[in-house]
Amino acid sequence: MIELGWVQLAIAGGLVVLAGGLSVLMELGVGKRLAIASLRTVVQLTILGALLEPLFRSELGWLVGLACLVMIGLAAHESVRRAGRRYRGIRRDAFLSLLIAGGCTALLATAAIVGVDPWWEPRYLIPILGMVLGNGLTGISLGLDLCLRSIDEGRGRVEALLVMGATPREASRPVARAALRSGLVPILNSMNVVGLVTVPGMMTGQILGGTDPLQAARYQIMILFVIAGATALGTAAVVLLALRALFDADGRLRPERLRRVEN
Amino acid sequence: MFFRATGLAVEASGRRLIDGLDLELERGQCLVVRGPSGVGKSLLLRQFARLDAEVAGELSLEGRAPAEWGAQAWRTEVCLVMQGAPELEGNPADWLRAVESLAAQAGRETSDPLALLSEWGLAADKFERPWSELSVGERQRCQLAVAVSRKPRLLLLDEPTSALDPDAARAFEASMVGKSTIWITHSPEQAARIADAVLELGS
Repeated sequence: MIELGWVQLAIAGGLVVLAGGLSVLMELGVGKRLAIASLRTVVQLTILGALLEPLFRSELGWLVGLACLVMIGLAAHESVRRAGRRYRGIRRDAFLSLLIAGGCTALLATAAIVGVDPWWEPRYLIPILGMVLGNGLTGISLGLDLCLRSIDEGRGRVEALLVMGATPREASRPVARAALRSGLVPILNSMNVVGLVTVPGMMTGQILGGTDPLQAARYQIMILFVIAGATALGTAAVVLLALRALFDADGRLRPERLRRVEN
Repeated sequence: MFFRATGLAVEASGRRLIDGLDLELERGQCLVVRGPSGVGKSLLLRQFARLDAEVAGELSLEGRAPAEWGAQAWRTEVCLVMQGAPELEGNPADWLRAVESLAAQAGRETSDPLALLSEWGLAADKFERPWSELSVGERQRCQLAVAVSRKPRLLLLDEPTSALDPDAARAFEASMVGKSTIWITHSPEQAARIADAVLELGS
């Protein structure tokens, strides 16, 4: 692959300056945000690259594990940040859901599907986990947000079933189903248009890296399936955990445990 | 004693509305709960149905505490019909099926909700109409018909006839005779017709 230096990046940065000029010219008021976003892109990705390089070379299992946990923690933080309502323990629930979904599927992908040796080989595990988490957190935050909103605003429907003797699970089934469905929408959409409208990032990267396009396509198919499974698993987990937190031991709905936040 | 509350308290956002309430109800009797708005009548019924976190006090039905009945069994036997039907999906028949499918409702001896509806002056075909096409009074009767048809031991009725015309209200009162009910009403005339006992709150 042809290597990129700072000069080449500066030329690409010129396009951002062009966008900034457009903002000033048309008074869009996004010039400052564009500058900050560009700076963050450079800093964050450079740090990531700098950290990955020694991590890939280290061959230390615990260090790879630690890196995975930090990634899951950041994804959990982001998915909670996107939800319009909170409850005590929401961070733990989001973390657990992403741990189960991201962890299981990423390991499955590296260990069983690709068959890397050792199974935690960071060159495979870290990028696959990153993609699974990045997509999974979208589903999890959508599902979580809808679940909490339906409980908050649709309390009457849930209680109508509770007074007829429904268990929390029975009373919240419609909420859980709607939340799960909304969490799956983005991945379903992207699986439908992939390759028609977009060439996905990973496939692009592999092709640029010199991989045979057919092989790159197979990797992309594999990763999309893994993401779909992880998203379904993670959304289901977070919805179940959230509902568990909002009902008490006597099967009562406790909406006062919900707190609205401004995003 | 059929139904008993001892030392019951009701709170709304941390404010104590009712404190130390003792109450007894014989089987087949009607207790009317009266009092100005905001005094905690609806919240009291929610406490009886164990729908809100308890503040203080004990409840029992046929001598057994809620814990002995189990949370879901208690609510099927002490059935609350809330004021103003919530926005449910589908039609009343869908709602009946949803209720019938609940584990706690399995194997109950029930009556026909359509027969109740015709007693209360509502045509049976309304049961198949979407909730959104029904008037408030029609929704109220369909909701009541589903609850009453499940034959709970005690019915908690929160202004059940507030949207019914006088004839339908009288018909509903007649079908409640002999049933154990705790009934919130703002109408002194209705209270005089139905009450075996009256609980005045906020006096």
